[in-house]
Amino acid sequence: MIQFEQVTKKYPNGQIALEDINLKIDDGQFIFIVGPSGAGKSSLLKLITREILPTSGQVLINAENTRQIPESKIPLLRRKIGTVFQDFKLLINRTVFENVAVPLEVLSRKDSEIEKEVASVLEKVSLLDKADNFPVQLSGGEVQRTAIARAIVARPQILLADEPTGDLDPQTARDVVKVLEKINKEDKTTLIMATHNVQIVNHFKKRVIFLKGGKIVKDEKEGKYDTD
Amino acid sequence: MTQIKKTLKLLRRSPYQALAAALAMTLTFFVASIFVILVIGGQIVLNYIEQRPQIVAFFKDDASQSQIRQIEEQIKATGLTREVKYVTKEEALAIYRERNKDEPLLLESVSSDFLPASLDISVKRAQDIAQITQIVKSNQKVEKVVTPENLVEQLVKWTKTIRLGGIVFISTLLSVSFLIIIMVIGMRIALRRDEISIMSLVGATRWYIARPFFLEGALYGLVGATIASFLIYAFLLYYSPNIQEFLGPIQVFPISPRFFIYLWAGEAATAAAVGIIGAAIALFRYLKIR
Repeated sequence: MIQFEQVTKKYPNGQIALEDINLKIDDGQFIFIVGPSGAGKSSLLKLITREILPTSGQVLINAENTRQIPESKIPLLRRKIGTVFQDFKLLINRTVFENVAVPLEVLSRKDSEIEKEVASVLEKVSLLDKADNFPVQLSGGEVQRTAIARAIVARPQILLADEPTGDLDPQTARDVVKVLEKINKEDKTTLIMATHNVQIVNHFKKRVIFLKGGKIVKDEKEGKYDTD
Repeated sequence: MTQIKKTLKLLRRSPYQALAAALAMTLTFFVASIFVILVIGGQIVLNYIEQRPQIVAFFKDDASQSQIRQIEEQIKATGLTREVKYVTKEEALAIYRERNKDEPLLLESVSSDFLPASLDISVKRAQDIAQITQIVKSNQKVEKVVTPENLVEQLVKWTKTIRLGGIVFISTLLSVSFLIIIMVIGMRIALRRDEISIMSLVGATRWYIARPFFLEGALYGLVGATIASFLIYAFLLYYSPNIQEFLGPIQVFPISPRFFIYLWAGEAATAAAVGIIGAAIALFRYLKIR
């Protein structure tokens, strides 16, 4: 379970990214965090991965306060979380297979195990035939699915996706989110997706948290992205 | 094994930096080997000279055996000598005859009266030659003192200078190697910035991220020291006849293979330590993980 208790995040330049956020996300939920650019969506995700700390309030992951996690234990927290980054963060000099294998290498898994797990996850995102390609040889949707494969290969409890449909055409965007939905359903992975893609949010009918100016303005169980 | 494979893969990606670092290490440890061998060689020459009689005191004809024995006791009492040998006129004649047995002309009409009795003195430390010479010379029954004092002094001085020069020179080269390793590994950290950031975000520990850089530093050291040891071995093998000819009766060759193994092991351990410490400094300075 993820809990935000009166969380405020203020950056050193004075910008307030999040203000007095109270939020509870149960295990296995699929949530859309929506809102215009600069609403605080990415900051919210970064607080979960402990890339940043709240200025006030607390973030609890499985009842553990992220502020109290010692530096040496942060990797253990991050191993529970898979992240699909807004800018993909794929390594351009590594193949699809090698990129997806990174989280397993970090866990010091055996080569044979890595080979099996990566192949299985590439099949899940329909990229097995592109395993030996480099990121520059992939289409936008394939790059995005590679990033998803990397995020889920170590079977995280929580999957964060920051604008995963950013520059994709509507059909590809929908396919990418279908993959995420499948992972959420099959593996019971908690899925938090930050997006401002109206069509996607309205199509999938999941819990929607609307952020504006760093504050939660709406939190609906089967919400819609109302841009008004 | 996987880690070593990964490290080698990283080296292949930017071979020129790796080459620069390995060459700096090779140069450092090649020069270090030369100095080590010079210092050890100097010590062998010094030991050779120290083990031979370094002071020979020849006595006047009227010096009696008891007077000579008295001087002998006086010298021994200083505790600075290794051996004091009394050579009587008769023994001196026997030595003379032995040395010149192939030249009958020199042996003709030579009797023990022509040759003086002497004391052959070897000292424990070459530095004490002057003091013993002084004691011997001050005795009125001594006619002449022969000593290679200057040669030994020169040798001691040279050995000290080589040792000191070696320390200064090797320290300078080691510092340069350190800086090159810090620079090369710093560049590699910068080149792998994205990868490090991704690894950190997927749960890599600091040690997991740092380990290949430590291995890389150690590898530069090991490769450098191994090449240097091989070069010095080949150099000595090739030039051993010339060096032996120069040293004359002082036996230095063949050098035991064990010496080269020890030299390589010592240098490899030092070089690996230099590489690892260099990597640690680079990591401390440049590795920023959120």
